[in-house]
Amino acid sequence: MVNSYFTTSLDEALKIKNTKPVTPYAGGTDLMIEADDQASYLFLNKIAELKQITEDEEYIRIGACSTYSEVLHHKLIPQILKDAVIELAAPAIRNLGTVGGNVCNGSPKGDSVLIFFVTDSLLHLQSMSGERFIPIKEFYLGRKKLAIREDELLVEILVPKNGIDNYYYKKIGARNALAISRVSFAGILDTEDGRIKNCATAFGAVSDVVVRRPDIDQMMIGKTIDEAKGIKEKYLAAYDEAIVPIRGRVSAEYRKSVCQNLLQDFLETNGI
Amino acid sequence: MIKFILNGEEVTSNANPNERLLDVLRNEFRLTGAKCGCKEGECGACSVILDNRLVNSCMVAMGSIEGSTVLTIEGYSKTERFEMLSKAYADVSAVQCGFCIPGMMLASECLLAENPNPDEEEIRRAISGNLCRCTGYNAIVKAIQIAAKEGKGLW
Amino acid sequence: METISHSVKKRDHDDKISGEAMYVDDLVMDGMLYGKMLRSTKARARIIKITYPKLPEGYFVVDKDDVPGENKIHVVLEDMPVFPVDTVEYIGDVISMIVGPDKKGIDHIIDETVVDYDELEPVFDVMQSKTSFFHHDFEKGDLKKAFEEADEIYTEKFHTGQQEQAYLETNGIISYPENGKLVIRGSMQCPYYVITAVAKAVGCDRDHLRVVQDVTGGGFGGKEDYPSILACQVAVAANKVQKPVKCVFGRREDIEFTSKRHPAYVTYKVALKDKKITGMDINVIYDAGAYTTLTDVVLQRGLIGACGVYNVENLHVTGDGMKTNTVPNGAFRGFGGPQTFFTAEMLMDHIAKKYGMEPLAFKEEHFAKQGDRTSTNGLYHFHVPLPEMVKRADELSDFRRKRELYKNQTGRYRRGIGISTVYHGCGFTGNGERDLIKGVAKLRKNADDTVEILTSTTDMGQGAKTTFSKIVANALDIPMDRIIIKNPDTDRVPDSGPTVASRSIMVVGELIKRAAERLKKQWKPGEEQLITEHYVHPDFMIQFDTNTFTGDAYPTYSWSVNVIELEVDTLTAQTKVLKAWGVYDVGTPLDLNILHGQMEGGFLQSIGYASMEQIGYNEQGRIRNNSFSDYIIPTSMDVENMVTDFVSVPYDEGPFGAKGAGELPNVGPAPAYIDALEQALSTNIDHIPYTAEDIMKHLQEVKKHD
Repeated sequence: MVNSYFTTSLDEALKIKNTKPVTPYAGGTDLMIEADDQASYLFLNKIAELKQITEDEEYIRIGACSTYSEVLHHKLIPQILKDAVIELAAPAIRNLGTVGGNVCNGSPKGDSVLIFFVTDSLLHLQSMSGERFIPIKEFYLGRKKLAIREDELLVEILVPKNGIDNYYYKKIGARNALAISRVSFAGILDTEDGRIKNCATAFGAVSDVVVRRPDIDQMMIGKTIDEAKGIKEKYLAAYDEAIVPIRGRVSAEYRKSVCQNLLQDFLETNGI
Repeated sequence: MIKFILNGEEVTSNANPNERLLDVLRNEFRLTGAKCGCKEGECGACSVILDNRLVNSCMVAMGSIEGSTVLTIEGYSKTERFEMLSKAYADVSAVQCGFCIPGMMLASECLLAENPNPDEEEIRRAISGNLCRCTGYNAIVKAIQIAAKEGKGLW
Repeated sequence: METISHSVKKRDHDDKISGEAMYVDDLVMDGMLYGKMLRSTKARARIIKITYPKLPEGYFVVDKDDVPGENKIHVVLEDMPVFPVDTVEYIGDVISMIVGPDKKGIDHIIDETVVDYDELEPVFDVMQSKTSFFHHDFEKGDLKKAFEEADEIYTEKFHTGQQEQAYLETNGIISYPENGKLVIRGSMQCPYYVITAVAKAVGCDRDHLRVVQDVTGGGFGGKEDYPSILACQVAVAANKVQKPVKCVFGRREDIEFTSKRHPAYVTYKVALKDKKITGMDINVIYDAGAYTTLTDVVLQRGLIGACGVYNVENLHVTGDGMKTNTVPNGAFRGFGGPQTFFTAEMLMDHIAKKYGMEPLAFKEEHFAKQGDRTSTNGLYHFHVPLPEMVKRADELSDFRRKRELYKNQTGRYRRGIGISTVYHGCGFTGNGERDLIKGVAKLRKNADDTVEILTSTTDMGQGAKTTFSKIVANALDIPMDRIIIKNPDTDRVPDSGPTVASRSIMVVGELIKRAAERLKKQWKPGEEQLITEHYVHPDFMIQFDTNTFTGDAYPTYSWSVNVIELEVDTLTAQTKVLKAWGVYDVGTPLDLNILHGQMEGGFLQSIGYASMEQIGYNEQGRIRNNSFSDYIIPTSMDVENMVTDFVSVPYDEGPFGAKGAGELPNVGPAPAYIDALEQALSTNIDHIPYTAEDIMKHLQEVKKHD
């Protein structure tokens, strides 16, 4: 006998998650590919509290069950995220799939996941015993391994809203729509008074987890554009070492070349 | 027991909540206009309109549609908008083998409902999740352009 | 333009667009059972033992012991069994079929079944294969002399990849006993192929069988021979259980285990004198896969077209269809032509570039003309419109100016524009129409003066129902709505031959036109009449000798010139098709919208063939990319700006001057695409698909050298 659960209340959902071994079902577009009719799903798609998109002083707060289409049409959503989401799959998938599902799928190819990484977003997790906020970088322990507890649900994704207007984003798929990422890259450069205030890069689909190396990006912080030019070779070399692509549908060499090219282009379009 | 609205009528399905909406439409309700092309959301042959949005019914578990509205090609074909689109598709002979067509029609409807005057880029994006192997897409794009132009306030 | 060319509303439009058209999987019958295949997981093995779990009530195993007739599937030869006796020859080879009332129940049985194999050594690399299923060798002129007198000899080898038809509707068949007959219905191109094969397997004569084509969601050749295979298996099952049995493949199953386009290796050795080609020695290898199926015919067409549209007076062509332990390859629109026309076009490109000549100019010098001898010493009996088609293509695309403009591109985005010139031979190769098919068509006039067209031609989207209706309506001078045309049912239609080889309009269309003309002369209002028309071989044709491969391989040819303009992003190795043009001669167009649709559809399939469509195998011989997320075909966002145009050289033996059109669009775009890519990348390319990875590899190598 299959036991799946449907609720429109977050409290109810947390109660169920606390007591039953359920698989959270947000949009279903990942789960239904290998549909398991013995699975015990917890249908979250109609919980209004999980679909709010709001802002506070620091963050845009995106309900985990917001669909990609809802994200695309909402005025609060930053353009960098919209740019990534519009390239995801196709309209019918975007109407069902959710940003929360993208994160919890645990794949390094997640199109919105890349943006959450490069913006150093926070994940808001809730359970019956409380809630916590965890940087997305710490949420991924390995390929499809997440730092989520049995009784927790992802409820919100908090995207820092300041300093992300100057961005670079590129997705490489096998075709112009319905394409799984073969390589993806996002970069943010924020300057203030002639100095780099923030430099953030993220590489998707090349490793078990999105590659985010703030320790390397750190090199750029505080520098002027001219000074940044001076350490450009060192910066590129550090990433050359850091990116070790795994072979997938395309070769590791191809992925590596594209990553290098895009990183360099990101710097050069910013005058570095 | 899952209650939802199917082509304007309230219905109840005996399906278990994990079953695909596509299978329930085809097997339980005998509405075979939605086709199975791949069963993994990659081709759009199974497209239906769920709560006013285009979705792949093979990706929808029954347990997620309690209280929702589902419109299939069978329901849509009773509308004036369908007649306009059908005439436009006929004018350019956009229907070849026909397998992708119910999905394409519903994708066309969803586009025009949101954007009655789309440019070509928007049209191509709107049907980008509906694979067609016969037509090369040109005639379908033209058909939607014709329907938008002759739409006369339908959308 | 002829009046008949004016587009009309397609006759199957309303049923299909409303969702009312019934494809095979839409059909449900009382007491119907489902069937699913138990397939080999080994590429080559002997089956030692099969241990099935205990079968619940209502479930059956159908295997070799249930074949009442001969355990052979008739395609051309009969080397494929309905169910294997002891060996399996590729991963997916059908071992048996599990039949039952519930699909999940069947899956469970298959999961629990244990097959003990004695594994044998498989061959995956066609170049390592020692089994040639078919060998051909023919020559023309005096090649030895050409080589002796040559200034130089140019050698090059090319490779083309495997391609999946990817029709949106997968293969499916239902079989059931009814009124003393065994009925077989489903998605298919050739009902009479199916009835012939099933008669043998079930061991009965055709009178006890009935084959019906259901609305078919695309074929492209993928449902030319494959339905015969599936039908034999399902019919045997239905015969055993005496209930309806339905077997419809899932997408992954269809991609992994059904027929595809033959991969090819083609080697050219070219004699050149005064910068002109004086002779060619061509070797062609097609990877047949595990069984023969259609390989011989595909290979023949590839051999005949191996020197392209060029007049090569001294020629030697050898070819082999080699066995490998992979899925048997069959028909895919173009049927052996796309492979060797690609290689011939690239050969011409590369020789031209060697001489510092523009490829188009070099090709033009060698274009065949009316009166020239074909590769098999037949004749180009009719006007060859290539020069005016090239002119038209140039007008539309501004090819020559852009070709000059795009020389030596640097910078991040690099453009290229390419052109190809090809033909497709119309109809069955050689004497097939006269000696094998002997097509028959009928017209039945009813008492109410409506006329029904009775042929075995299947409409799979290409519009046969509409074009046939137009032919008869025009010839009889009656309105189209007085014409009846239904999906072929072997109980009711004669054998007009298969729906393949771009023969439907040219051959069967001509039969119904003649029948209509006779009916018009003999018309008796209010009376039932039946007109039968038999195929008549055109008397201008030079007899084709299948041993020496000489004579007219085809009565006539349809021609195309394709131009593709593209742009490569050297940072990501992605390619964008900016614009694409095709100029086609298919004789008189019988319906312009239908023809544009056919050309546009084939255009995208051919671009896919050159670029994004590839099939990868793992070490065990299993296809890795077996889903639509992994087998990449173009979406609506991948090729915008496509223009198709017609130049018409009417063919007198075809209805209203029409020639074959269905396969032509799949021949030209791939080499035009690669020609453009060669310009953008300043390199020579010798294989397709040429993917983003190939492009990146090339760019990296260039970087290293700089």
